[in-house]
Amino acid sequence: MIRTLKAFFLARYFREKLLLTGFAVLAAAIWLSSLSGRTRRFVREVHVTTSSLTDQALWISNRSKIEASAQAAAAQLDAARTLDATRLLAEVAAIANDAGLKNPTTSESQDQSNGQFSVHTLRLNVTRADWDSIKAFYIGLQKRSPYIGIEQFSLQVDRANAALLNASLRISSVEIAAH
Amino acid sequence: MCASPLDALRAGPPPPRVALLPDAMFFSRAIPVQAGASREQVVSEVGIALEALSPFPLSQLYYGYYWTPGSDRVLAFAAYRRRFTADQTAEWGSAQHVLPAFAAVLGSGVEPATTIVLAAPDGLTVVHWDQGKVPSLVLHTVLSPEATEEERAKARSELIKAAGEARTVVDAPAPPVAQPARSDSEVVFAAGTLRSTLESGAMAALDVRDKADMAALARAQRRDLLLWRVAMGSVLACALFALCEVALVGAGLWEKARIAKVGAQKTTVSRIMSDQELANRIEKLSTERLLPLEMISVVAAKKPAAIQFLRATTSGLYTIQIEAQTGNAGEIGGFKTALEQTPGCDHVEIRDQLLRNNVASFTLIVTFKPTALAPATS
Repeated sequence: MIRTLKAFFLARYFREKLLLTGFAVLAAAIWLSSLSGRTRRFVREVHVTTSSLTDQALWISNRSKIEASAQAAAAQLDAARTLDATRLLAEVAAIANDAGLKNPTTSESQDQSNGQFSVHTLRLNVTRADWDSIKAFYIGLQKRSPYIGIEQFSLQVDRANAALLNASLRISSVEIAAH
Repeated sequence: MCASPLDALRAGPPPPRVALLPDAMFFSRAIPVQAGASREQVVSEVGIALEALSPFPLSQLYYGYYWTPGSDRVLAFAAYRRRFTADQTAEWGSAQHVLPAFAAVLGSGVEPATTIVLAAPDGLTVVHWDQGKVPSLVLHTVLSPEATEEERAKARSELIKAAGEARTVVDAPAPPVAQPARSDSEVVFAAGTLRSTLESGAMAALDVRDKADMAALARAQRRDLLLWRVAMGSVLACALFALCEVALVGAGLWEKARIAKVGAQKTTVSRIMSDQELANRIEKLSTERLLPLEMISVVAAKKPAAIQFLRATTSGLYTIQIEAQTGNAGEIGGFKTALEQTPGCDHVEIRDQLLRNNVASFTLIVTFKPTALAPATS
């Protein structure tokens, strides 16, 4: 069959041979270009999927270990003394009031939960407060540790009055659901 | 009904286009050569012999030869160019091979002492082998087309007798005709029941056309062969690409199944990740305490009086970033040194130093050792 094609090809005029060869080379080049592009994309996709599957397998294989570590971390706390979002807000407001802070403002509580454990976070801003009030508030919060924790703290001199301070805190509490 | 292209492909290639010239136009001689001579030596011997035998120079002859490697004899043949008309030679351009009719039977592979008789309407030719693969003699006699059977038989007997002792006489009742061959490296001729197979190298030597034209033809053939190989290479590459496409489709299905698996596991894994994050936060809240005022107190204890703190922000558990200003820029270096010498400080860095209206502002980043700070109680 190949010899028949060869005989057919060689019997053509030179310009026809050139044209046939040109078409074949062009078709192969276009196909190669398209195929190599798609193959590269496919290989990239395979790498990404392989990486995702490996990561997922790692997470799944560590599932019981992670759950155990969460249990172990929660075991350090007395479930009765942990605070839900409402109790956190009330407790922080009471400490601020005791410290003599005027007009503290809080953001809405952000909650992260797996059903059994929850972490509630709120941001508290205090403006134009004196150093002693802020310190008293801070010490009040620290006394409730580890049930109330400060995750971020920022203190700034008030622009209008250098004797006063503005403070911003991110405060969190852990809640352990009662069984 | 016309055959389909597939049938045409299955039928194999057509026979090569061969122009067989009348034997009467040629004279031939068996020329002894050294056994084991190379083809170049044989070509040279043939040229010298024909120059000697012919009344015309080599450039005015159409000539060729038949020789097989190892033979001690070459059969050379030639014809005066002017015996062929311009119309006849013009037809040779479309032929792949041009040779005298008797040359077509030279590859018959006959036993020693064999004579082949080729009959044509205008004459008879005998080719005689005494030994070896190269014939020792080619004789031709011209006959009138109106010659009777008796006259033809008489001429045949005389030619066989003149050729020499023959144990076998093979009659080829029809002129040789090129046949489709099994490979491109050989040409097969059939004359009645007689079969002659000639290799492509022998066919090139038998071709009587002008040697310069032959060289040009060979160049064109090499060019065409190159084009054919490029075209075939491209076609084969396309076939390979088609296989790759099939493999890519198969691999795509496999990949799709893997992506579906990733999607199915995503919810479970995000829940585990969330649990991990939660566990970390609970662990941190339970065991670690951010002590920003304690950090500020340690830094402020080393602060020169001229330096004023404007803003303090924690960064992680053990780092505090303080924006400060001073009217005495020379104190910044000393302040940094003093902090570095404090036992609880792990690292001190000064950044973003700017001077404006004789007031130098800077950012102080202090990182404490994890166990250096104790919580304040009052």
